[in-house]
Order: sequence, then structure tokens, then C-alpha cells
Amino acid sequence: MRKINIESTLYSQLIIDDENKLVIKFQPKTNVFLYCISEMRDKLRKWREENYRNSEQIVDVGEELINEHASKLGDDIWIIYEQVMIAALDCSRDDLAWSCLQELKRQFPDSHRVKRLAGMRLEALERYEDANKLYDSILQDDPTNTAARKRKISILRAQGKSSEAIRELNEYLEQFVGDQEAWHELSELYINEHDYAKAAFCLEELMMTNPHNHLYCEQYAEVKYTQGGLENLELARKYFAQALKLNNRNMRALFGLYMSASHIAASPKVSAKVKKDNVKYAAWATSQISRAYQLQHLPAGVMLTSLALSISSKTPYTTAASAGVAVVIEIHGRRQT
Amino acid sequence: MAGPELLLDSSIRLWVVLPIVFITFFVGILRHYVTQLIHNDKKVDLQQVSDSQVLLRSRILRENGKYLPKQSFAMRKHYFNNPDTGFFKKVKRKVIPKNPMTDPSTLTDMMKGNLTNVLPMILIGGWINWAFSGFVTTKVPFPLTLRFKPMLQRGIELISLDASWVSSASWYFLNVFGLRSMYTLILGQDNAADQSRIMQDQMTGAAMAMPPDPNKAFKSEWEALEIVEHKWALENVEEELMCQDLNFRGLFI
Repeated sequence: MRKINIESTLYSQLIIDDENKLVIKFQPKTNVFLYCISEMRDKLRKWREENYRNSEQIVDVGEELINEHASKLGDDIWIIYEQVMIAALDCSRDDLAWSCLQELKRQFPDSHRVKRLAGMRLEALERYEDANKLYDSILQDDPTNTAARKRKISILRAQGKSSEAIRELNEYLEQFVGDQEAWHELSELYINEHDYAKAAFCLEELMMTNPHNHLYCEQYAEVKYTQGGLENLELARKYFAQALKLNNRNMRALFGLYMSASHIAASPKVSAKVKKDNVKYAAWATSQISRAYQLQHLPAGVMLTSLALSISSKTPYTTAASAGVAVVIEIHGRRQT
Repeated sequence: MAGPELLLDSSIRLWVVLPIVFITFFVGILRHYVTQLIHNDKKVDLQQVSDSQVLLRSRILRENGKYLPKQSFAMRKHYFNNPDTGFFKKVKRKVIPKNPMTDPSTLTDMMKGNLTNVLPMILIGGWINWAFSGFVTTKVPFPLTLRFKPMLQRGIELISLDASWVSSASWYFLNVFGLRSMYTLILGQDNAADQSRIMQDQMTGAAMAMPPDPNKAFKSEWEALEIVEHKWALENVEEELMCQDLNFRGLFI
């Protein structure tokens, strides 16, 4: 049985077997079995440096490290406490979070960093007033502390006050223009509010500082595509192409390229030359998509795609066609993220 | 023309060369710990941080603006450089010239810097010069001109001696700079025993702390931004993309 992992979580796998049937296989929770301390430490470090959010795994590995091997960790233990504490807050392990916090408080009694962790714990317990007071006290001491400000904004977001969160985040960004995390958060907030023009501005900032990141190009193109209108569609097509150029395997961008090109081609107010060009682009995108599917010997997928594409090429605005393409994007989108 | 090869007493190696190395090394480590003890955190000014980030953004706009659509680039350039309302034109920072005599914090910083770095070097250099003088310590492997003789051969009054043969004081100074990488190995990066880094720090004036005159920095950034034109990098991106098939290697596991 040839397995093709379309999506796999820690607990179940979607597998396509030889008869091209979709099968869901449940597996026991495969823990990451690491046998020696240095392996566990390296794993934790890798997760820390690359900003992974696999909180359950971090809690498992970290808890074992802390409980069994605390003495052999040396000075690393403090940063591991911090990492495990944040992961424990994610998994609602309040006991573990509290014990980590106590250790850190004992070692670093006056630290702003530890205070911020205490504030995060209060946030997890939904005691937002107390958390806010704590962050305010940090900011009184040190007005340039960015972490406390960002936590306050996340509190607003958690409480659902998105317009206030947007306003605070704007003020924050006026002072700290270089904070990319904040720009990304702001773009997300604007997208939720359907304010696509401002979201596009934020994504432009991100693209400017990270010109080689294909994901920002692709997100920007998607926002432009959603905004609609001929120039925005043109821009969207260009940026989808740029995302593809930066990463040939970005399937979302490929589908986006196809969609925007076919939309422009189908629009009544374009000149013949533009129409011809866009039909050419759309045809190229189609050929690349079928090539990708053929590479995987997935006739079901090819059928689905060609069906969706043939429907959408005739009447690009039908929701059925977009749904068909959306399903395929969904499957591929999971792979990409 | 290399002079006659001198044969030095091996006890010079044992009692002069090695001790100087050890002395330099341990004094360096001591300096590192002392600096850490009497060091206090630099208070960063919010305004300075903000300004340095703005300057960074403007610089990035100049470098990577070609990846943005023309409209967005024009919008940002306008925000910075507009003659009436542009940021660089409108914002003038009050510059308080930091007088080292009156400003107490800079005075203490300067004193601490001097105390931990310059003073030990002078003291120990002088002591070595006094204690280990009158003989040749080592030979540098490359030929030197006669101009270097008075500098490198303190205490050795020989006119015909090759300038490559140096005294112990110069060996000490060689060590001070040479052991820098040893300190990095043992004390980790960013250690206070590193003399040349301190000199470097005084010269650059990095992205964190602003040079004392932000107005000048704004003006130069304004000029640089004025002359930048927007040449869109995505002009022909589709053509470039489509001249060959996409490389799907690694797309599916």
C-alpha cells in the first residue's frame, strides 16, 4: 500500500491507497521518543529558535527534562523553564506553568521578562485586569519594553475588542516601525475587519523588509485579489507570479495565478491583447497544475482539477467552480502551511 | 637581508615569553569580570530607538522599494520626503550636546572605561618593560624597517641589530591583541576583555543607539531617498516565470 501523506497529525493520517480510495488511519499518539538528554535539549533548542508552536510535544519533552534531569542542564534550565511555561499555558497545564514561574521568580526576582511571563499566566486564567496592571507596571519602569506592550494588545484581541486592538497596534507601530511581528498581526486584524486596503499596506511593509519570502508575496496577492477591480487583479497576478518565482512549489500561488489570469481574461473591459496574454498565462498555469498532479500519479486528483478548471474556464464566476478549486487548494494549502 | 641568526637562551622562553602570555591572559579575564561587576545597563531612550527604526525603514525602502507596486513606493516616499509634511522635513529633534564634564552618567562611564581598560594596560606594560628589559625576547617572522627599532626594541641599545628582534614590551602588546580570539573561545562572544571591540564600539554607533545628531542623519537620509527612482522588479515577472517549467521536486514527499 503506497502511502501518500496528504495530511498527518499526531493521531490520524489520511492515506490514499493503491485503488485510489481515501482512507483514514488512526494511529496511537506517536510520542517523540528521545533517549538522551542532549537530544531532548537539541530538540527544544530547535523548536525555540524556529518558533515552533507544538506545545504538547514541548510540554512532554520539557517536563521530563525538568523533572528528571534538572541538575545536568546547567544554565540552560532557565530558558527551558520559560519555553515550557509558555507551552504549558497553551495546553492548560496550570500546575506546570505555576511551578516553572516559581522557579524563575526565585532565580530572577526583579526581571521584566519574568513579570511578563506572570502576566501571560494571568491572561491564560482570563484575569485580564490583573494582567493589564502588571504590564502597566513594567511599562512604567521601562517605557521601551516592547513585549509588555504587545501583550496588552493581545489582551484586547483576546477580549474581542478588535477596533481598540487595531488602534493600540497602530500607535505601537508608530513608535516601533521595524517590528515585523506587529505588522503581520495588524494585517490579520485588518483582514478580519475586511479592511483590505490597510491590510495590503501592512503586507507591503512585510514584503519590503523580506523581499525573498514567498509567503508574504502570496498573502499580498490574495488580499489584492479579494479587493477586486482590474488593477488589483493585475497586481495580484503579478505577485502570484513573483511568489511562484521565489518558490516553484507554492501551489496556492499557482492556483491564484490561474484564477486571477482567467478573471482578467473574462472581464469585458480589457483590450484584446491583454485578454490574449491572460489566456496564455491561464493556460500555462493549467498545464503546470496538471503536470504537478501527473507527477504523483493521482488520476482522481487530475479528474477533479480538470473538471474544476474546465468549469471555471467557461464561466469563471460560478461558485461551484470556485468551490471545486477551493477544495483542491484546501488539500494543497495544508501541505504548504 | 636577514641579519645573523641569534641563538637565544632557552630560559628566555621559559621565564619570559610564557609568563608574559599567562599574565596577559589572566589580566584579560580579570578585566572581563571586573567590567561585568561595575557595569550598569545603558538606559535607552524611547525617542532614539524609534528614530533609529525609522531610519532603518527608510533605508530598506531605498533598497527594496523595487519589489513594491509603484503606487505604494510613491506613497511611502511622499510620507518621508514631502517638502511640507514629510517626516524628514518636519521632524526636528532637540539635540542636547552631551557635555562630558557636566553630564554625570557619561562621566562615570568614561571613567569606568578608562579604569578597566587603559589603566591595566599601561601599568602592566610599564612593569613588563621594567622587569623584562635589556634583552631580546623574540623575533617577528617578517622583516621590518629600521623605523620600527626604537619602538620595538626598548632597552636594547644595539644599532646593528635587525628590527625583527623585539623586546618583551612589544611581545606583551602583541599578546594583548592576539589573545582576543582566545577570549572569545573561553568567555563567549561579547566579552569585556576584548579591547579592540571597545575601540570599534566607539567608532560605529550601531542601530540601537543613535548618533548624537539625529537631525544630520535625517538630512542625509532625505537626500538619499530623493534620488531613488522606482524601477519595478515585477515588470516582466510572468514572462520570466513562464520560460521554463516549474520545478516540483520535493513537493510531495
